[in-house]
Amino acid sequence: MIHRTSTTARIDASITRIDAWLDRLVGPLRAHRIGIDQEHGDEGHDHGEGTADILERFARQADALHEELVHDRGLRVVGFVGATGAGKTRLIERLIERTDDRVGVIVGDVAGEDDAERFRALGADVASVATGKECHLDPGLLEDALTEIDLDAIDRLYVENVGNMVCPADFPLGAQARVVVVSATEGDDVIRKHPLLFQAGDLAVINKRDVADAVNADLDRMERDLAAIAPGMDAIRTDAEHEAGIDALASAIDERVEAHSHQDADHDHTPGHDHGHD
Amino acid sequence: MHEFSIATGIVDVVREEATDHGADRVESITVAVGEASHVNPEQLETCLTVATEDTIAADATLDIETVEPYGSCSCGWAGRPETSDRALAYAPDLRCPECEARIDLEEGDGCRVMELAVPSEDADETETTP
Repeated sequence: MIHRTSTTARIDASITRIDAWLDRLVGPLRAHRIGIDQEHGDEGHDHGEGTADILERFARQADALHEELVHDRGLRVVGFVGATGAGKTRLIERLIERTDDRVGVIVGDVAGEDDAERFRALGADVASVATGKECHLDPGLLEDALTEIDLDAIDRLYVENVGNMVCPADFPLGAQARVVVVSATEGDDVIRKHPLLFQAGDLAVINKRDVADAVNADLDRMERDLAAIAPGMDAIRTDAEHEAGIDALASAIDERVEAHSHQDADHDHTPGHDHGHD
Repeated sequence: MHEFSIATGIVDVVREEATDHGADRVESITVAVGEASHVNPEQLETCLTVATEDTIAADATLDIETVEPYGSCSCGWAGRPETSDRALAYAPDLRCPECEARIDLEEGDGCRVMELAVPSEDADETETTP
């Protein structure tokens, strides 16, 4: 037994030596190894497309979009993320009804035009993105969708992400404010279950407040979870269906958008790492 | 699942780097995935297999490494931050174990293309012409 084990070990060792020898002999002739410069993607580097960190690449694409939409065109850009059924579409409808701004909406959905039709009925210029196998909008998809909207004819752009509480967290889209929408019906532990999305957001909405009692949801608990996960992030309680809390949400969004503009004016904004750049 | 977006991003980086080195084929790709990045390495591998189809990296071997999170604090502490037992991912609100201040990760929250291998006869052509 011992003898066999040591023979096997010796054979293994020989094979390893032969492999190493073959690698030395054949490796360099056969393949040329290219190390990717990891410094390339660091902050302050100008080449937006040249970074080795893939997540950073998406963040830089988002910064470029932000630059174009917010700074060059002066649009107010607001993103909405949250689960399917949280009420994102209804909230955006209510906001469109209340504003004098000319509104454009980019709607991300896995399939279909249902949400797009609802926004069009309110007079908004709408482009819908059927993401297909993707569960979130990324800056490239957004950029493509923007070509379908007359950007000179709008003042405000709403971006409704695909209903999903995980994936959009890693894909900023260049907005001045990212609103995370949850509803009482998702369970009052929904915030603590999705910490990353809230950390990547600027403002939280707890929608369907009117049915909280019926589904036994403790809205105070949701706000406590939010305070622990994303300290300083405001939560607005709404009932989009019956138009409650919408004015408070509208002013919280505008406040955030304004604050963002001042931030941009005060600091040379840091690409990729500013949560404000949704 | 957002690994397919990541995979197409990786293919873009690979294509650019290979072209810069005059290669028209890629033999292997090494990617480092941070454990705190929320990129699932197994899913990424599957997505990369699909995303590289019909590209110069179609036959490339994929080597996906994982990177442990590493952070440091202004108080002098440096090391691997505590994971949260409440969330599957890393504690969203990372704190220094010494002084409780919020810390940012220096490593382990990214997803990087580290290295590619291209056939040397292709690469040599460009390397001899500066």
